Amino acid sequence: MKEKFIINGKEKYLTFDADERLVTSLRNNGFKEVKNGCLEGECGACMILLDDKPVHSCQIFTASVINKNIQTVKGIGDLHFPHIIQNAFVEAGAVQCGFCTPGFIIAAYALLKENSNPTENEIKRAIDGNLCRCTGYVKIIDAIKNASKTIQKEKVEL
Amino acid sequence: MNNLKWYYPETIREATDLISKEKVIPHASGTNLLLRNLKKINGFVNLSNLPLHYTKKEDNEIEFGSMLTYNEIISELKKIDKENILVKSLINSADTPLRNRITIGGSIALAPPWSDIIGALLILDAKIILAGKNKGEFLIEEFLNTPKLKQKSLITGIKFKLSKWKTFSYRNIRTKKDMPAFHIVEMLKINKHKIQDCKIIVTGTVNRYDQIIKVENYLKNKTINSIDFSKIEQLVNVKFSGKRFTDPEYSSKLAGIEVSRGIKKLVGI
Repeated sequence: MKEKFIINGKEKYLTFDADERLVTSLRNNGFKEVKNGCLEGECGACMILLDDKPVHSCQIFTASVINKNIQTVKGIGDLHFPHIIQNAFVEAGAVQCGFCTPGFIIAAYALLKENSNPTENEIKRAIDGNLCRCTGYVKIIDAIKNASKTIQKEKVEL
Repeated sequence: MNNLKWYYPETIREATDLISKEKVIPHASGTNLLLRNLKKINGFVNLSNLPLHYTKKEDNEIEFGSMLTYNEIISELKKIDKENILVKSLINSADTPLRNRITIGGSIALAPPWSDIIGALLILDAKIILAGKNKGEFLIEEFLNTPKLKQKSLITGIKFKLSKWKTFSYRNIRTKKDMPAFHIVEMLKINKHKIQDCKIIVTGTVNRYDQIIKVENYLKNKTINSIDFSKIEQLVNVKFSGKRFTDPEYSSKLAGIEVSRGIKKLVGI
């Protein structure tokens, strides 16, 4: 199949099999920032925004979301133009091996877009679909709190 | 890859015509379909373009389109009835990204033993709205117990009455991300320290679900300070399969304790 998607704000045509999962199609078409983790919807490494909602791309048939809006972590910010949330993760030491980080950035972005001043419990709930085996989560939660403060201070619209 | 075909209907009529074809099945969000043997399926009917993302409220009744996700249901229902048993049952189900994907229709069509939605719909006496061969409205209990209703039919919505009863939901899980071994839902109508009415359902049992009628009868018309909570534990007596998560005897004992704890919480003890 070859179908249109809006990925990171741009029209893209992806080539994929009818029974293929979105994580595979994205990676096969160059979006390697979407990590292939557990393929069971447990770890959150493959997380993307689908019409602004965080979802596990490994739990979606590509053919079921044609023409939809997809945002990967590179659509939020990249090495040259990192987003406030990405900077906050680096500054808080919330990145160790880094494999889970794209998923956490996506989850944090979705949360802060809806609620720029979340409580700690709201942060924990927002990242309940992401696993990190390195950091122990403390620094990740700190990073999201710090990003929240910066977003409010600088009055940034996400 | 097999010759799996995808269809993208825009009307319910088109969709029901398509699912009447051999081995062509509806695709709501597909989280379960990913686990199926796709060689046995000829085609998927993608339901996302159908007008099934809706909420209707009329008088004391609410109706949800079957393509609303768990998170959308929680958010809609919280606006009008945040204590609703459906909110309490779904709010801790799966995780945020899965709740953004799992639809109410897909969940009812599948209704696995670990479902977090079925107990709530049973206790609410919800009605399932079907289109296609078995067009009509059916009580959830009838829908679950009549497998042929699913054949060549599409769930288009659910409806139920809102109530002021007190509600309690308990998921038996080992870790936050677990599917529940069993799920307890309770609703109590209390007036002047007396239980006027109550409903208790445990899902995930060998019977798929059990209404705990003995406890309901024991509690009806009882004053709060005359309740013997150890008796409730004994009256629960539900059976679990040995094949799932843990020892069935232990689960049975635990279900009794948790039903009792739920009642305690609802009556404020």
